[in-house]
Amino acid sequence: MDYSKILRNNNKISIRTSCQQHSQQYNADFNIRFVLSGNESYQIGRRSLSVYPDSFLILNKGTQYSSQVDSDIPAQLFSINFDQKFLCDFQTSHTLNDDKLLAKYRYNDNSGYEFNETIYPFRGDIRYNINHLKNHLDQGTQDELLINEYLYHCLLNYFRIYNEEFVEKAEKLNFLNSSTRIEILRRLNLAKEYLYSNYNQNVSLEELGEHACLSVNHLLRTFKQAFSLTPHQFLIQLRLQRAKSLLKTTDYPVNEVVNMIGFECSSSFIRLFKTRYKTTPLKYRQYRLSA
Amino acid sequence: MVKYIPVFTEDITEQIDFFTRKLGFKVADKYIIYEDAECKAIETGNAGVYFVLVERSLIPGVKNCIILNTNDCLNDYHLLKTKGVFFFNEPQYLSIGLATYFLDTCGNKFLLLEERNYSE
Repeated sequence: MDYSKILRNNNKISIRTSCQQHSQQYNADFNIRFVLSGNESYQIGRRSLSVYPDSFLILNKGTQYSSQVDSDIPAQLFSINFDQKFLCDFQTSHTLNDDKLLAKYRYNDNSGYEFNETIYPFRGDIRYNINHLKNHLDQGTQDELLINEYLYHCLLNYFRIYNEEFVEKAEKLNFLNSSTRIEILRRLNLAKEYLYSNYNQNVSLEELGEHACLSVNHLLRTFKQAFSLTPHQFLIQLRLQRAKSLLKTTDYPVNEVVNMIGFECSSSFIRLFKTRYKTTPLKYRQYRLSA
Repeated sequence: MVKYIPVFTEDITEQIDFFTRKLGFKVADKYIIYEDAECKAIETGNAGVYFVLVERSLIPGVKNCIILNTNDCLNDYHLLKTKGVFFFNEPQYLSIGLATYFLDTCGNKFLLLEERNYSE
């Protein structure tokens, strides 16, 4: 069911399902975009990235982008635009409760929030809250106070994720100057989103470094500092996570899943899957089916 | 839905000993349900229902506590608020999930708890 809902406070929620779609847009408000099934590709300036159900994208006010869905499996897209005043109110109330958390966000009255526009993990509380909100909207709720309660919590969850994924990771980098740490992390996030978007391809370190505007040595050293994993380990972890999701939500045979996530050899996939999840892919699927 | 039956105790070690040695119950996983209070869950023998042992000193001023499990804490919080129930805080994120609480007119504490699985 597709719909678009504009609340009285100008927050906007839209959900749509499509197989083929291309659109070019100017982002008028702070926007969080989820892909609940399938995937959607984005072009933001010279960057190309893809969003899958395990991640979400944030776009700041004023960003121009184009998005595209081109797949046999329909992609279900869920998007929330937050009105500037709602964000300001959120900041005021949130700062009163927990000023430590917000002290590190850059905010000014003219341009609004400026977050690192990249892909963030869609898991934990934000996933629960978005699923609840979507259920209410699917059932046709008109209670705007309730919807805004979820939107408030969605922002709360996002700010926490931003803190964990950006502020805390920047602090792990071994640079004295804080602006250097932030710039390096911003570039590392380019590398990370490249892995997120090309997880099923053979990605070389040179290619990754070029995308992140870092030399290979610099990339390897700082990536490990920030994410506690090498790019290769990160990629393997991501592939296993996506394989798990495919095993859970589709009927594709294991061999096909192996190809879809970019592994060349099914025995090494099974070995890595078993090491990480303490069960084989087939047993995992059977367990999920019986559960 | 009631899933946890709180039992206030002066001495949690002694209480666990009584529950396990005398009554034959088993200690389940450790849960943290109150803001800072560490609780011990004891299996009751009824699947999915637990006694939760809480040291009384950790939650002063509360007579009884009823833990109401919910599938959607924000929804129930909102519904109860519109019916005039006064909540002491906004729903808080804990390691077990999302929770908030209110008191009835007699001073009994009601904890509204949505358990969430963060391991997936």
